Amino acid sequence: MKSAGDRLVQQYLKGLQRELSDLPRARTLEIVDEIESHIAEARAGLEGDDEAEVRSILDRLGDPSDIAADARARFGLARRESGVLEVFALIGLLVGGLIIPVVGWFVGVALLWGSRAWTTREKLLGTLVVPGGLATSFFLLVYAMSASVYSESCAGEISPVTGRVQETCGDESSVGWGLLALGVLVFMFVAPVVTTAYLGLRLKRPVRSRVAPLAP
Amino acid sequence: MRRGTLQYCVLALLEGEERYGFDLVRALAEIDGMVTSEGTIYPLLSRLRRDGLVESTWRESPSGPPRRYYRITESGRTALGAFRKEWSRFRAAVDSVVEGRHGT
Repeated sequence: MKSAGDRLVQQYLKGLQRELSDLPRARTLEIVDEIESHIAEARAGLEGDDEAEVRSILDRLGDPSDIAADARARFGLARRESGVLEVFALIGLLVGGLIIPVVGWFVGVALLWGSRAWTTREKLLGTLVVPGGLATSFFLLVYAMSASVYSESCAGEISPVTGRVQETCGDESSVGWGLLALGVLVFMFVAPVVTTAYLGLRLKRPVRSRVAPLAP
Repeated sequence: MRRGTLQYCVLALLEGEERYGFDLVRALAEIDGMVTSEGTIYPLLSRLRRDGLVESTWRESPSGPPRRYYRITESGRTALGAFRKEWSRFRAAVDSVVEGRHGT
């Protein structure tokens, strides 16, 4: 059975872990672990263990965002911030290749990897889905259309050798390939948009948390 | 300035004996105005450990789970010694200005 105090402590530690997430994982775990022991030691020394006492222990420890700010200063890390550069990174990744062919996308990638706002996993995702961004998608679309125009025209082609109509481009298997190509094309347009939206949402992750005000 | 000097206070407290986190925080809390939020001691200890100025070992506790005890290292003692010299020079300089003895 969990007491109100247990819930407060759990909430506090969760907030702390989230606030410290900029630090190397081992450091975050070490600090959270030590503060968890601190709370346990402080509670063990109490006469009773009511909610108000637990709150005063947590107050003396300080707000998780203050502890995290201090920890970032200790370890020489800047606060995870998002600004204009992150917006340019996302624009570059998605449509940079359309604005300035090839180069625009690489600018987006450089800004993405230069930013502290994303984790390495998110940066890999942004780079690999999809390389070139929408420019690649449009290139593939144009390529696919020209290929299909060619295959229609070649269906009626008359071989100069045999004098017969060649049907090499119009066989049944091409319907399956056509569907597959359509699927790939749809993916190529949807995936970069979804990735960009996801990276944009990750910029808005909560950075402040406080212990809820004391209930009356 | 408090952030810069706090680590030497921690080293000084560890000079005589090894202590676990809660014990160290309690000792610092007794010094007025030294620590505003106790939780900030833990990132500091983590940093000191990474820099090799303190080291830690786990020891059984008479009550509850094992505790991580911190102990000052040789390079910790060297850093503290250098800080003591620097600090007394600095304190003398500030005193001479603030208390109006400068140039009189």
